[in-house]
Amino acid sequence: MKPLVVIGGGPAGYVAAITAARQGKQVTLIEQKDLGGTCLNEGCMPTKSLLASAEAYEKIKQAEQFGINLPLEQVKINWDGVQHHKTTIVKNLVKGISYLMKKNSIKVIKGEASFLTNHCLAVRNENHVEEIEAEQFIIAAGSEPASLPFAPFDGKWIIHSKQAMSLPAIPSSLLIVGGGVIGCEFASIYSQMGTKVTIVEAADQLLPGEDADIAFTLQEELEKKGVAIYTSSSLTEMQPKDKTALFKHKEELHELQAEYALISIGRKPRVLGLGLEQVGVHFSKQGIDVNEHMQTNIPNIYACGDVVGGIQLAHVAFHEGTVAALHACGKDKSVNYRAVPRCIYTHPEIASVGMTEKQARSEYGDIRVGEFSFTANGKAMIANESVGKVKVIVEPQFNEIIGLSIVGSYATELIGQGTIMMHGELTTDIMEDFIAAHPTLSEAIHEALLQSAGQAVHS
Amino acid sequence: MAAEVVMPKLGMAMKEGTVSTWNKKVGDSVSKGDMIASINSEKIEMEIEAPQDGVILDILVQEDVGVPPGTIICYVGKPNEQLTEQNSSANELQAPKNEVAATISLEEPPANAASSKKSKETVLISPIARKIAESENLNVETIKGTGPKGRITKADVEKVLAERASEASRPPAEIDKAIKKETLPVAGMRKVIASRMHNSLLNSAQLTINMKADVTDLLSLQREIKDLIQQRHKVKISLTDFIARAVVLSLQEHKQMNSAYIDNEIHLYNHVHLGMAVALENGLVVPVVQHAEKMSLVELAAEIKTRAADARQGQLSTDRMQGSTFTITNLGAYGVEYFTPVLNPPETGILGVGATEDVPMYKGDNLQRRNVLPLSLTFDHRVLDGAPAANFLGTIKQYLEQPILLLL
Ligand SMILES: Cc1cc2nc3c(=O)[nH]c(=O)nc-3n(C[C@H](O)[C@H](O)[C@H](O)COP(=O)(O)OP(=O)(O)OC[C@H]3O[C@@H](n4cnc5c(N)ncnc54)[C@H](O)[C@@H]3O)c2cc1C
Repeated sequence: MKPLVVIGGGPAGYVAAITAARQGKQVTLIEQKDLGGTCLNEGCMPTKSLLASAEAYEKIKQAEQFGINLPLEQVKINWDGVQHHKTTIVKNLVKGISYLMKKNSIKVIKGEASFLTNHCLAVRNENHVEEIEAEQFIIAAGSEPASLPFAPFDGKWIIHSKQAMSLPAIPSSLLIVGGGVIGCEFASIYSQMGTKVTIVEAADQLLPGEDADIAFTLQEELEKKGVAIYTSSSLTEMQPKDKTALFKHKEELHELQAEYALISIGRKPRVLGLGLEQVGVHFSKQGIDVNEHMQTNIPNIYACGDVVGGIQLAHVAFHEGTVAALHACGKDKSVNYRAVPRCIYTHPEIASVGMTEKQARSEYGDIRVGEFSFTANGKAMIANESVGKVKVIVEPQFNEIIGLSIVGSYATELIGQGTIMMHGELTTDIMEDFIAAHPTLSEAIHEALLQSAGQAVHS
Repeated sequence: MAAEVVMPKLGMAMKEGTVSTWNKKVGDSVSKGDMIASINSEKIEMEIEAPQDGVILDILVQEDVGVPPGTIICYVGKPNEQLTEQNSSANELQAPKNEVAATISLEEPPANAASSKKSKETVLISPIARKIAESENLNVETIKGTGPKGRITKADVEKVLAERASEASRPPAEIDKAIKKETLPVAGMRKVIASRMHNSLLNSAQLTINMKADVTDLLSLQREIKDLIQQRHKVKISLTDFIARAVVLSLQEHKQMNSAYIDNEIHLYNHVHLGMAVALENGLVVPVVQHAEKMSLVELAAEIKTRAADARQGQLSTDRMQGSTFTITNLGAYGVEYFTPVLNPPETGILGVGATEDVPMYKGDNLQRRNVLPLSLTFDHRVLDGAPAANFLGTIKQYLEQPILLLL
């Protein structure tokens, strides 16, 4: 048994640790904060918990439409209750990871690790420094919010995502700088809870990685909830004293006051402070350089998850962690980015896999697009969730399904079907005969596929 | 009950057989009579057929590993059928009980559409990868899959296409590509011939000498007697038969040529086991006429006909292909004149026969139209030198030119 040390207990790190332990390695995991990393403690999980509360509230407000009479004026959000729901879930999940560590005989050490040599780490915990030697290392140190050069986080007015999810009360107003995934999720959460939200985004649309029509569906819905959205706009000045921000929109300077300013302009890999220079591991601001086995230029050192840059998503971190661990254990394993789903937990949800229509057109030129709107889907109408659509992108020569985008209720669950189709490299002719249960939202996917072949039944 | 398929014994002398190619893999379904493997032993290659319908449950003998006849090479049974202990220990016991003799056929495997389609379907490949491969005429069975369980993915196919494209873009690639497309595996009989011929040249000192024999009289003799012999003995006597007889008689006079070089010793034989090279569609076999020295011309002719027919029908047993002391190879039918035959080891000599030609020739002062037969003798210079070899060839020439001696 050759000892292996994992740095970081987030999705990449804990999965790598468990995988290596199951391969018979003696594994130690070092985490400076809480197990579960960004995902559990300040990312995926808490935001989704807040969204669930916001959506429950939204649904209850629609009670009458479902034939339920309520004294609506008494329906209020209890912010402490919302926070309690969130922290309970996070605590339980963190406990779950601790249990998994024990079950797999993984030693967990609390502290901040940095390399001394390529076989030795210093682990700092308050005033105590411990040296840990190992045969192999897996760096899974994750990422942290990027800040604006002229507006560092102060935790009082200029806040980052972690702070935004534990505010003392529902803010009356919130400026969100950056209309990407995190920005839109917070816009969705707080706008549903009654906050006056403003989004300032530099690109010409929200969610610059997704197709404009998909992003625009979300934009319209957010606007219906009172969110002010300024695209093609750049922030020029932040004045914490009077909580005022200045931004330029269409050559016009706007001034905006808000209770908080959430900066969500991206996350940067946590490459500093790990002593990478010390051992000669190649890295840049974009992340640690790795090969297809998640191995750095120093063969006994691997890196995975957000710290290598690339796609910063928890499920990608899981996969990369698995690959790194298996390869470190002598298995010939490489990463597979064949079909990575992208999910945005707004209301309506957005989820996609593969190419957007725009990417497909630039890559293939002529493509076929099949679309089906949830307004014609029975299940969506019943749930009062008929906003949105399914869009499938098909390459015309072989009918390969090269992209699927969904905006609408449960999009993040439905996308699993697209992920399987793309992972399996299926073609539309195979999918035409597939039977979707009725009534389900899945029928919309089937109809979109049929439409791409000019055979849609319900549109 | 699972049927055991064993390595057949193709002749009394057969000690070992080799599976040259498995056409099926474990889990493939087969119908009775489907070709499941090619085997070879000595110079013969044969197809093994499935003894019953079912699936290949287990393969016990890897390609290119020699095993004694009677060894179980695979099991054919019902899908998921468990092999009993009795089954699996049979090879150790060397006395398999439920042995189903493998059915052997030397014919080209029939273009069994169903079975070839089946094996195609068992290739793990994604739908889009298959479509692209088909549109580009790629044989999916040759592509290495990197997906789950070795599934061939689009990327794998694209990699092959990219390699093909980069090969094609290299300057000499036009020819290169054409050659590549025609690449054939060296397997089975081809492999045996390739290695034997190569070893022959590597391990002996070969020299070829040529001479021509005037066979005008011989041909007229043949014309005279052939109908008679056909009527009496039901044998169509050919020029080859006369040549064979001439060789047999000459070998008895020149014992050094009727020999073998084995382990630094020269073995001289009293008997003449005459090897007659027979071209098959996909190779070459050399049936052996044993004790040719004891046969009359007619008996020799009859034996040669039978052996050649056996060879063409794939019914030659291995002991009918072994032990030759000298070989004759005839390329006359192809219009070849002289050539350099390659020794059939461990023999010392091989006679190449070319095509007879009509030539003007002086007989005394008269110019006549004569038929000459080009002869090429390759011999092992380790065993004998040029002069005795020339004498031997001269004797053959004499016999052919005085054909009456061949009838005696
Ligand atoms: C608000 C928000 C919402 C998100 N929502 C989603 C979502 O819905 N779906 C999704 O897929 N992804 C989501 N993400 C992204 C996801 O959280 C990350 O991609 C994922 O957590 C990356 O995992 P990781 O293991 O690489 O890094 P992290 O989760 O960041 O874990 C790294 C761990 O390493 C520890 N560490 C760092 N340096 C050291 C050191 N020197 N010594 C010891 N320990 C160290 C850190 O304390 C941390 O616990 C979200 C992110 C945010 C911020």
